[in-house]
Amino acid sequence: MLINSVIFVLQETLEAALLISVFLTISLHLGHSLRWLAAGFFAGLFFAFLYALNMAQVSEWFDYVGQEVTNATLQATITLFIGLYVLTLQQQKAFAADTGTYRSHLSRRLFFAATASVACAITVEGSEIFIYMQGVFLQSDALRSALTGSIIGVAIGVSAGVLLLYLLRSLSTPLLQPMSFSLLALFAGNMLSQAALKLTQADWIPSTAPLWDTSQWVSESSVSGRLLYALIGYEATPSLAQIISYLLGAGLVITLARLTIRKEPPGTNNL
Amino acid sequence: MSPKRDMFTRFIKKMFQLLPASVVTACLLYPPLLAAAPVIEISIKDHLFYPSVVEIPANTKVKLFIRNLDPTAEEFESYELNREKVISGNSKTIIFVGPLPPGEYPFFGEFFPKTAQGTVIVK
Repeated sequence: MLINSVIFVLQETLEAALLISVFLTISLHLGHSLRWLAAGFFAGLFFAFLYALNMAQVSEWFDYVGQEVTNATLQATITLFIGLYVLTLQQQKAFAADTGTYRSHLSRRLFFAATASVACAITVEGSEIFIYMQGVFLQSDALRSALTGSIIGVAIGVSAGVLLLYLLRSLSTPLLQPMSFSLLALFAGNMLSQAALKLTQADWIPSTAPLWDTSQWVSESSVSGRLLYALIGYEATPSLAQIISYLLGAGLVITLARLTIRKEPPGTNNL
Repeated sequence: MSPKRDMFTRFIKKMFQLLPASVVTACLLYPPLLAAAPVIEISIKDHLFYPSVVEIPANTKVKLFIRNLDPTAEEFESYELNREKVISGNSKTIIFVGPLPPGEYPFFGEFFPKTAQGTVIVK
């Protein structure tokens, strides 16, 4: 039970931890307020708890595919908010380059986009942890090992996030923006691809044969497979719908990041 | 009736006339749309799948109808089928799989992976 709990909680924690790390890197680099972190975290926990409590009812919606539709909606929302965050960041940078100040409505929009992205990510993954823990509490014999495993899982997930934060923070300023935006683009693609997979599972999108199979090289069940899944949305056997939605999600963020790019005046923050 | 409105009405009528043809074309291009998916029933009891081995036809979309008879939730997970779904305690759910080529596709319960294991055999 201990190992099961570690693996399960770790893989549910990892995605949100990595997303938070990228947002944190950008906020710390630009000296932005970190209020979004607390707001997104607690809102996410609240909605995850609410979702977990009502999972049985939600699952019955749309002829028993309500869970897939809800998760797909939340994941598509994360993609849109990541896009909004990147766009707003670029607009704010352009404004700061002209005037040397930040516009308050852009700062509020950044706060809102980061909070909503983190809250949605925690809602999707956190709800599964709550449901798992609910089952654990009903099994008194396995309670201690499951709780210990869950705490270890969360700790490893958070550590991976902290590691990514330090890796990004150690990058030189010219590399920081492309690397952070690339990770956000991959994360957005991953979320939209997962949304497409959920809708395929619900039979709202036709299921097609996988475009390729890389499970011989990196299995999705391996440690590296799971880490790659959390970081870049690795799938060993992706369908056409997943590839298209991945490219759409990543492409949206890259396009929005490039929309307002302008020549950097010397001495400005490169983000 | 104004010419603009008349044109709009004719356009809507034309769309409705084309609708059955579009549905038939879609069904011909994508045969699974035409047929109702066969239903395979699976139960979860004492953290075990019953039956643990299910056979489904090749190249056919199938509806897995899963009843969780345990009071605790379980998560149906399969890397090979690319499927993942939480099933609350004492509840039922549906998961669509396929169309798939012949082969063996293992699945497991992520909350109780040591006991809850099964295989979909596509023939």
